[in-house]
Amino acid sequence: MAEQRTDTELLALFREPATKEKAFTEIVKKYQERLYWHIRRMLVDHEDSNDVMQNVFIRVWNALSGFREDAQLYTWLYRIATNECLTFIEQQKKKATTSLSDVESGLSNKIRADKDFDAKKLEWKLQLAIQQLPEKQRVVFSLRYYDDMPYEEMSRVLDTSAGALKASYHHAAKKIEDFILNH
Amino acid sequence: MITGRGLIDAMESPNEILTELLEIAPFLGRAGVLRAPYDIPMGYFEDFSDILMYRIRFEADGFGEIKSVSSPEEIAEISPLLAELKNKNLYQVPAGYFESLNTDVQLTGVVPLKLSAIPQSVKTKKISIPMRIVRYAAAACIVGMIGITTFNLTHHKVLDPINGLTTVSDQDMANYLDVDDVHWTTDNPSDLQTSTVDLSDNDIHDLLSSVPDVELEQYSLLLPEQKPSVN
Repeated sequence: MAEQRTDTELLALFREPATKEKAFTEIVKKYQERLYWHIRRMLVDHEDSNDVMQNVFIRVWNALSGFREDAQLYTWLYRIATNECLTFIEQQKKKATTSLSDVESGLSNKIRADKDFDAKKLEWKLQLAIQQLPEKQRVVFSLRYYDDMPYEEMSRVLDTSAGALKASYHHAAKKIEDFILNH
Repeated sequence: MITGRGLIDAMESPNEILTELLEIAPFLGRAGVLRAPYDIPMGYFEDFSDILMYRIRFEADGFGEIKSVSSPEEIAEISPLLAELKNKNLYQVPAGYFESLNTDVQLTGVVPLKLSAIPQSVKTKKISIPMRIVRYAAAACIVGMIGITTFNLTHHKVLDPINGLTTVSDQDMANYLDVDDVHWTTDNPSDLQTSTVDLSDNDIHDLLSSVPDVELEQYSLLLPEQKPSVN
């Protein structure tokens, strides 16, 4: 198996018209799973997640040539994905003319409607617990717990100080544990 | 500057995340990192980049070099098989159908509307009513409705039709029935067909076959003079 190219190499290839598509495809393949799961944990539904995934990468295609290399590529990708998720949730709210709590309970219902849902299993309880969190806290918990993202990187994704993010993560983890132990 | 390091080594060690979690939420920390239990369609990640590139190349505006292709060219590029099937019509119409269509329409008296008969523009007059007048009009309507309802409740007693009929003399009632030509029977037996069903003994037997004997006996006790006959 060929060794994976570094982000720097891929960006250089992307700038060349002859290798632009090939480089972009490699970038997609390199990051798609991480970004997909980040999105899926936010939106629960696969079809919604797929739509948002495509929108994310179309944005990346359009903006990548202007990407400033003073940040990590993956940080930038997570930032776009997170913003697209939040925009999607906002649009759902407007479409349904419901409150955010209705959207969240809708996400919980989607979890319960999954064909494999088992209320006794800890991993399903965890998903339900995550949906009880405010959306920003949900992102913070997901980036740290699932994606092992350092607070410094997270602060670039979310434009929030590392200290505030640490406090937010602690708060989220406690709330999730309380939910799991009491449900 | 971007360092070029990969995603995985840019992330914090999972052990550090778990150690932190054990301090904040011991139960969650002891459970380890529980992956999201969602399913994804088979081959989703294998196909995703192809689908995405297809969308980027062909779908929307503003994505660089997008060729303007006709529908036949497009389908020929995507699927030559579908392109070949495009003009093969399985359905047939009777010979001369389309030629006779215009004549048929005219014979039935429905004349196709010519586009030239449609006025190109219809002049409309815009009337603006001050908002203040609209508010007064709405208030007047509400006051009017309350007034009418109050008047009806205080000045008109609601008549009970049954009690009212007890005060009508037999002669008046007879006159009303004669003058207004009220019929109580029909001369045409077919009018009653929907309410009459002829059932044979076999039909009744079939209908009642699923009813337990105990229930039939109880029913026959309620109707001592009309015992059901079930053989």
